[in-house]
Amino acid sequence: MARLTLTNGKVVIKPFNRIWIVLGIVIALSFLFGYVVALESEGITFRPDQLPIILKKMFSPHRGETWIDYFSYILELQNVMVMTLQMCYGGTVIGALSAVPIALLSSKNIVKTKWIYGPFRFLLNLFRTIPVTVLAVISIGMVGTGILAGMIAISLFTFGIMAKMLFELIETIDMNCVEALESTGANRVQAIRYAVFPQVFPVFIGYTIYIFETNVRSSAILSYVGITTIGTIMKDNEMTDYDKVGGAVILIFVVCVIIQLFSDLVRRKLE
Amino acid sequence: MIRFVDVQKTYANGVQALKGVNLQINDGEFVAIIGLSGAGKSTLLRSINKMISITSGQLFIDDAEISSIKGKDLRMLRRNIGMIFQSFNLVKRMTVYNNVLTGRVAYHPTFKTVFGLFPHEDKILALESLDTMGILDKAFTRADQLSGGQQQRVALARALAQKPKLILADEPVASLDPITTVQVMDDFARINRDFGITIVANMHHVDLALKYASRIIGIKDGRVVFDGPSAAISEAKLVEIYGRALKHNELLGE
Repeated sequence: MARLTLTNGKVVIKPFNRIWIVLGIVIALSFLFGYVVALESEGITFRPDQLPIILKKMFSPHRGETWIDYFSYILELQNVMVMTLQMCYGGTVIGALSAVPIALLSSKNIVKTKWIYGPFRFLLNLFRTIPVTVLAVISIGMVGTGILAGMIAISLFTFGIMAKMLFELIETIDMNCVEALESTGANRVQAIRYAVFPQVFPVFIGYTIYIFETNVRSSAILSYVGITTIGTIMKDNEMTDYDKVGGAVILIFVVCVIIQLFSDLVRRKLE
Repeated sequence: MIRFVDVQKTYANGVQALKGVNLQINDGEFVAIIGLSGAGKSTLLRSINKMISITSGQLFIDDAEISSIKGKDLRMLRRNIGMIFQSFNLVKRMTVYNNVLTGRVAYHPTFKTVFGLFPHEDKILALESLDTMGILDKAFTRADQLSGGQQQRVALARALAQKPKLILADEPVASLDPITTVQVMDDFARINRDFGITIVANMHHVDLALKYASRIIGIKDGRVVFDGPSAAISEAKLVEIYGRALKHNELLGE
């Protein structure tokens, strides 16, 4: 608390802003936990000099091979990359679309009954605690280790995040338009179609592209539960054929940059 | 025709907004409701299209009692009543044309409107409504690109597209500048005169109300304290409605 005296003698007591205490605690805890983790880890070898060596191994041809070999290997990966992209695309679109009705049912301003939006929110929170690898293992149990399992896992994962992001977005919209639509005699569905959708649509598309990009990057992880994706190459080489892993990293990087450029373009068009 | 019979409204928090209102508004009238903020103007207006449900009493529209209707009957009632808001309440990201078309939504089954399918007549009607309001050239502009006065005209075009018998206006010019205010009020007068549409408007500005409306309803503390032709309202009545004399600078000025 601070006492501020105005020139005319009036005294204003300004309440202390607690955010600084909270921020201080957050930062202090991160140092504390970092220290604990370092103490607990056995056999740490601190060798920063390895970093340039590993990077060189990743982003240059293997000993005895040429740059042509290196790049032709990246080109060989394109089939796997295309399959990965198809899997991510299908999963993202299916997941994002199926999140729409659930997000509407979870929004306080659309469904005013606590008994409806409450349980939906609770289930969504539960659902999002399941890691994507676990979703993949469950999918594999149902449809085998093909990329179909990957697509199902990605759609479930996308559904979980998207439903959450979307209902939070829906709760920020201008409800006056909904009132206007209802005053014309429109029913609930019509009011949602003409007053809610136009307001959230551009942001929804932006979110979907963002999640698509995240999915492309994280699909590499799915190879560790047995689904063939762009990450398989990293797993099969046990991280020793650094040049092959490096090639896959370059390919993922290029694809993500293209998706980002595409995303910027779409967002500009939607504005 | 709108008829209030001993209408009361008590909100869930205990506030008594209407304490027994008796009124009759005939077809083709231009009525201004005046009174202080919190006097019950908005509640009175919104009870007419049941955006707010009354607690007791009866409310008739063309001899149909509406205080207990719901569902489809309620939507059928509302589609014949246009509503204009202080903050326009357009969907800002949509084009002017699409905003006006939303006035037709209630006339069609849900599945058709979900896919944005409107009959040809509706599209023509929407464009003609815009033409009536003098903003046909803005039809395919996004609503948020327009000035306040233009946006309120789009809202009026949306109401006209409903083919209403009655337009309710809740502080229609309160967020407009004085010049635009006069233009929009002229539009209301024109709609009232040319189409015979009944206008019921809540007004901040007493002098505007007196100038445009043919009849004034003064509300104080949930009760009607004046109801008569604009010409008949006296300085003393205004003092009663507002609790004190209005100073010259509180009027919009001629």
